Formats: sequence, structure tokens, C-alpha cells
Amino acid sequence: MQISVDHARCEGHGLCADQAPEVFSLDDDAELTYHFDGADVPDEHRSAARVAVNVCPVAALRVLP
Amino acid sequence: MTARTDAPLYRADIYSAAAIRDTHPHYAALRALGPVVWLSKQKVHALPRYAECKAVLLDDETFISGGGVALNPLANRVGRGTTLFSDGEDHARRRRQVAHRLTPKALRAMAAAVEEQAAEVVEAAVAGRNVDGVELATALPMSVVPDFIGWPQDGREHLLRWAGAAFDGLGPANRQAVRSLPSSLGMMRYARRVVRDRSVLDGSMGHDLQCAADEGRVMPDECAKLMIDYLAPSLDTTISAISSALHLFATHPEQWRLLKADPSLIPNAVNEVVRYESPIRAFSRTVARDTELAGTTLPAGSRVLVVYGSANRDPLEWDDPDTFDIRRDASRQLGFGQGTHGCAGQGLARMETSAMLRALVARVDRIESTGTPEWALNNLIHRYERLPLALIPA
Repeated sequence: MQISVDHARCEGHGLCADQAPEVFSLDDDAELTYHFDGADVPDEHRSAARVAVNVCPVAALRVLP
Repeated sequence: MTARTDAPLYRADIYSAAAIRDTHPHYAALRALGPVVWLSKQKVHALPRYAECKAVLLDDETFISGGGVALNPLANRVGRGTTLFSDGEDHARRRRQVAHRLTPKALRAMAAAVEEQAAEVVEAAVAGRNVDGVELATALPMSVVPDFIGWPQDGREHLLRWAGAAFDGLGPANRQAVRSLPSSLGMMRYARRVVRDRSVLDGSMGHDLQCAADEGRVMPDECAKLMIDYLAPSLDTTISAISSALHLFATHPEQWRLLKADPSLIPNAVNEVVRYESPIRAFSRTVARDTELAGTTLPAGSRVLVVYGSANRDPLEWDDPDTFDIRRDASRQLGFGQGTHGCAGQGLARMETSAMLRALVARVDRIESTGTPEWALNNLIHRYERLPLALIPA
């Protein structure tokens, strides 16, 4: 599973990082870091990552087909 | 326009006073009819279930906001130029001017002050013991939001009435909406005067907007609209969430005990309150091109109604949706909307509601209902008007 992050759309609400701290984090400037950019999300974090994509309030996260 | 399809028909008026006061049975009836239901009174397709509401909110190219999200043509015309009523690049540009001030990280600087004010509000209420829960719920947003937006002191006494009226006017053109019109226009006049006289408070969000207008990033006449854009949704909605929380914890003492035993449940409790009694009932979208939704072909130019309050009680999405349980994962609730128009102020709303719950948990042993609550009559806002409570000190 790969996830695309639309950084222009991201407003740093941080709900993804609450749901999947292993996958997403926000720095002090509210810039989102996606820890598996260009790689597959490891199996053990997949379900948390899906929930994170699902709760993004501005739909900046997408699971790639 | 002949927008009617062969979708099942619902004849009752979900905007009648009776339906506003007792809204959930109507939503249940709509959900039972199907995923797309024709409201014969408003002549729009309502989407009462979670999946279709979410799909429409996420597909902002097919289901657009530029034709307005209200249910009457006057409001859809008056609201042009707001963030709420725009699409694509226009929407992104307007939202960019202020959304960065509203994210949880940006709000962190305010957190200590908000906690302190919540503590003061709750201490005063506990000392009085018998309170109107709506008054208690109003105190914190009214002490936080006007400063944040930057309204001058002069005129603030009208803000709450104006903001409520702005929402009422987004419903169908019923008696409620007509009655709200003078207040909505009053708010517009006031906002224009504030922008013209440059009387916004220094360092506020409104001040940012004024600077954006000076630098040509927004048009001067957009400025007043954008200020209203962020004022109107920031009062009643949060007051709704806080007062619904008070009522729900008064009537579910076992849930209150859970929250007292483990205050780390508070962020999810906020989601569950917003799921259970969604502050905004519904907004509409215009169908930009012929499209199919859950088997119904919706013609271009017709309007769909995204019923947040119903989606959040949809049994196809939630186990026991009519049970209030702060332990369920309610984070995917749609009460703040979702997608490109997702509530920009939800960080602030969550912060205020959480601060009130933390202050209550620390100072109140239990909340008791001491009278029959009354719902406010508003087309769009689902909130109590009166909520007699006793706060029993810890």
C-alpha cells in the first residue's frame, strides 16, 4: 500500500499523526512528514494508515491504487 | 428545472418547527427510504446515509459549492464571494488567507489562555450550582472567538444573534429564513464598516485579511465577506457541541464516570458528541455534470443535500448509532464536513470543547438535568436553546 500526500492541501490539523504516529508526523511548523514516501507502508502499520487517510479533514491523503 | 428522478419520495418537511425540535426520527425515515431521497417540499435530493455524504464531500469537482450551499436562491446569491460558496482555485486562495491560523499547531499559543478561561467559566457556574447549560456553553466561545477574529469591542453584543441568523438564512425560504434576513444584512453592514474604518484588532485574523487586501491578495470587498465567513460558523456550532456534551453527560452518568476516570478520552468524546448531535444539520451542493450516485442519475444543475446529522447516525456505518458511547472510534464522523471544504476552524472548536470538558471533569462530580431542555429553532444549527442543569461540585 502506498499513500500520496497533497502538501498544498494539507493544513496541519494533525489527525493523521494522532491515528498513525508511525506513519505521519508533524514538525513544529506544522509541516507534515510522511515516513514512507515512495515506499510501501509496512504491513504492521497498514490499518492505522488507512484510518489516518480516512480521517484527514481536508482529504489531503489518498491510498494509491 | 425538472430535477426530480425516480428516487423515493419524502413528503414531510424536515425544516418545519416540529422537525427541527425532533429531527432524528425524520433522518431515520429518510435513511430507511434509500441512499438518495427526493424531498418534495424543498425539491432537492437528500443524502441521508454516510457513504454517499462522504463521497459527495470528497468529489468537489462534480458536487460544487459555487452555486451556493444554501437551500434558497437569495442566500445562494448573497453568499457569493465567501469561502463556503466557492470552488477550485478561488476557494483555495480564499482559504489560504486564514486557514493557517486555525490549525492545531498555530493554536497552541492560545491553549493555556483557553484552558484558563474555561476554568474560570466552570468555577463561576459551579458556584451558582443551577445553571442554564446553554449560557455555560456560550461563555467560552464568546470570550475566545471575537478576539481571535479581531472584531472591535463596539458591536460585539450583536455577534451571536447575527451569526445564528446567518445560518438560519441558509435553509429553505421558510418563515425562519425570512425572519433572519435583517440580522444577516446587519452583520454584513457591520463587517463592511469594520473593514472600511480599519478597526480590526491588531494581530488578529481579521488584521491578516486587511493586510491581504492591502497587498492585493484579496479584493477589498472580499475582505468583509471572509471575516463573516469565519465568524458565523465559529459561535453556534461550538456552543452546540458544548451544550450537547453537557446534556449527554447529564443523561448518561455512566459515560460521565468513564470520562472522569480517564480524561484522556476527552478528544474522542468530542468526536462522539459531534457525531451524536451534529451541530450543522445539512448543506447542499450543486451537481456540476450529469452523474450517478448509488444508482440514481442526478442531472447537471440539480441540487443535493448532504445531511451530516443523519450520516452520523447511519446504522450502515456505525454499530448502535443511537447509543452515545465515548469509547467508540468516532474520528470518522462527518460533523465537521470533510475534504476541501472541511471545517477550517475544527482545531479551535475541538480545543474549546475539550477545555470545557477538562475544566468540568476536574471540578464537577456529576451533572444533573433539572428541567426539560428546549431546542433552538434554526434551519441549519442543531443546538439547545435552554438546558436547565445542576452542577454538583466534586
